[in-house]
Amino acid sequence: MQIALLYGTETGNAEMLAEDIAAHLSDHDASVTNLSDFDPADFDTDTFYIVVCSTYGDGELPASAQPFAEKMEAQKPSLDGIRFAVFGMGDSEYPETYNFGGKRMEELLAGAGAELVGERVTHNASGDDMADDLALPWVDDILAQADA
Amino acid sequence: MVSIAILGTGPSGCFTAQALVKALPDARIDMIDALPVPYGLIRYGVAADHQGTKAVIRQFERLFERSDVRFFGNVRVGSDIALDDLTGMYDAVVMAFGLRTDRCLGIPGEGLAGVYGSGQVTGAWNDMPGVEPAQIGKRVVVIGNGNVAVDLIRVLAKGPEEFHGSDLSLAHTQALMAAGVERIDVVGRSPADQAKFDPVMLRELGRLTQARISVQGAEGEGKLIEALQGIDGHAPEGATREIAFRFGWTPEALDGTDHVTAARFRRGDEQLTLPCDTVLTAIGFTGDTPATDDAGAVSPGLYATGWYRRGPRGTIPENRADAQQVAARIAADLAGTATTKPGRDALSARVPQAVTYAQWQAIDAAERAACPADRCRQKLTTTEQMLATARQTGDL
Ligand SMILES: Cc1cc2nc3c(=O)[nH]c(=O)nc-3n(C[C@H](O)[C@H](O)[C@H](O)COP(=O)(O)OP(=O)(O)OC[C@H]3O[C@@H](n4cnc5c(N)ncnc54)[C@H](O)[C@@H]3O)c2cc1C
Ligand SMILES: Cc1cc2nc3c(=O)[nH]c(=O)nc-3n(C[C@H](O)[C@H](O)[C@H](O)COP(=O)(O)O)c2cc1C
Repeated sequence: MQIALLYGTETGNAEMLAEDIAAHLSDHDASVTNLSDFDPADFDTDTFYIVVCSTYGDGELPASAQPFAEKMEAQKPSLDGIRFAVFGMGDSEYPETYNFGGKRMEELLAGAGAELVGERVTHNASGDDMADDLALPWVDDILAQADA
Repeated sequence: MVSIAILGTGPSGCFTAQALVKALPDARIDMIDALPVPYGLIRYGVAADHQGTKAVIRQFERLFERSDVRFFGNVRVGSDIALDDLTGMYDAVVMAFGLRTDRCLGIPGEGLAGVYGSGQVTGAWNDMPGVEPAQIGKRVVVIGNGNVAVDLIRVLAKGPEEFHGSDLSLAHTQALMAAGVERIDVVGRSPADQAKFDPVMLRELGRLTQARISVQGAEGEGKLIEALQGIDGHAPEGATREIAFRFGWTPEALDGTDHVTAARFRRGDEQLTLPCDTVLTAIGFTGDTPATDDAGAVSPGLYATGWYRRGPRGTIPENRADAQQVAARIAADLAGTATTKPGRDALSARVPQAVTYAQWQAIDAAERAACPADRCRQKLTTTEQMLATARQTGDL
């Protein structure tokens, strides 16, 4: 299975995590792409997508994910047959909009017909867990579900 | 293999190193800081109760732990080593010094006791070495309408339990509680809809458990106005403090003989006098920036980034974008360079007093180990303490 990591970031935490996940999945030769460089027309049904995305401002997508969201809205692509998972990054210091970025990415993709695999998980920047400690077991679990 | 020196280990310096590691994987990068500890205003500016924002440090730790990036702390450029010496030693030198001199109001009475700039106050609350803490009284006037003003208000208004999980030291917590702040008047020069507050930061004030909030003149539209209206009337049960926001008032003078007793403002023909014993100004920072081109180049081999390049404005993400730009420029300039510069070896010989990353890790570990149950860290507060702790892990 081809795996593509797509990240949306503002200060680089999501980018670093996406790279760590790709390194963890070295058997799969996973690619890592900034959402700002990804066009909805590039989605491919043979690839499994793992989206890593933070939250900014008032519960908005981070800067690097915004052009992608705009393209999704403009192009309204059909993502039938596309499978994906979302790992959100947020901060419980923003309780009203906690992890809205990850949620928004899920809504964008699922709303276009793509299938969410497994549960969306969130890393809390104010929590004690390192993002990798949460994400790597989650990824193994997600891929087991995606393979099944 | 090229040698690059980055001067300053705040977010701008660190993001520059991160982008250079990607663009020039073979480069040898040395990061110099005047302080024995890295990370600049992430450690000494970002508020103690915003640990999530400080967590960006985890990215920077990677630089030192997994790439050929070295830390040279306790080395002040300009006194311990000259900039010219560094440009002679390295193929590229990036100045990421930041700028953190408090801007002055330029009104009579600014020199009175009880008047402090936000850089000093936030630096002291963050235990920055050599920064004298402010003597906070019961009636505080905060002048300024940006996010640093909100940091000041929030810390002044919180009760002791609201600092759980932060790294505000118990000494500062006790001093704040002993001050017994009763009233915080927040005054801005511009009308409410032009204030520079981040609406999210304002909403956070609406979760304070010890402070009532009133807002005058939040008229207009938009997220900022909505956020101001949303916190207006916040009145938790048993509140012991008042926060009052006012807009459109230009500061005219601070009154008092030795110590400040009132702050005076004007709005058109109207005058406002706020009795107080403490005035905190949060009207930004200042300092000279070098002339650079669009990509941050100052002269061949010398670059600037971050607050030192753009002036003391903007958040951590903006520094990242800026750093990526200057790193791309350096990578282009150095393409195909066959270096003859001595780089790290020459620097190590010149600054034997430099604190290494392993020594910083010892300081970091000591700070975490010493911390009380409801704090995440107890910072060492003086350079001497830091150097003593560093010395236990190797010669210095
Ligand atoms: C009180 C306060 C709160 C803030 N809160 C936030 C926030 O919550 N979120 C956010 O996004 N942004 C925040 N900011 C803004 C953020 O801190 C800045 O955007 C950022 O730190 C600028 O990065 P810099 O690397 O350019 O400078 P700095 O972080 O200031 O780093 C400069 C470094 O250079 C070193 N240095 C200086 N002179 C020398 C010398 N001669 N030789 C060697 N080293 C030297 C310094 O020791 C320092 O480590 C805050 C700023 C302040 C002042
Ligand atoms: C100005 C600012 C606003 C933020 N807003 C939110 C938010 O509304 N909700 C949330 O869950 N996290 C929020 N965060 C937290 C970030 O999403 C979190 O720090 C994340 O790790 C950043 O990842 P990145 O570096 O990939 O952008 C905010 C952080 C900052 C600095």
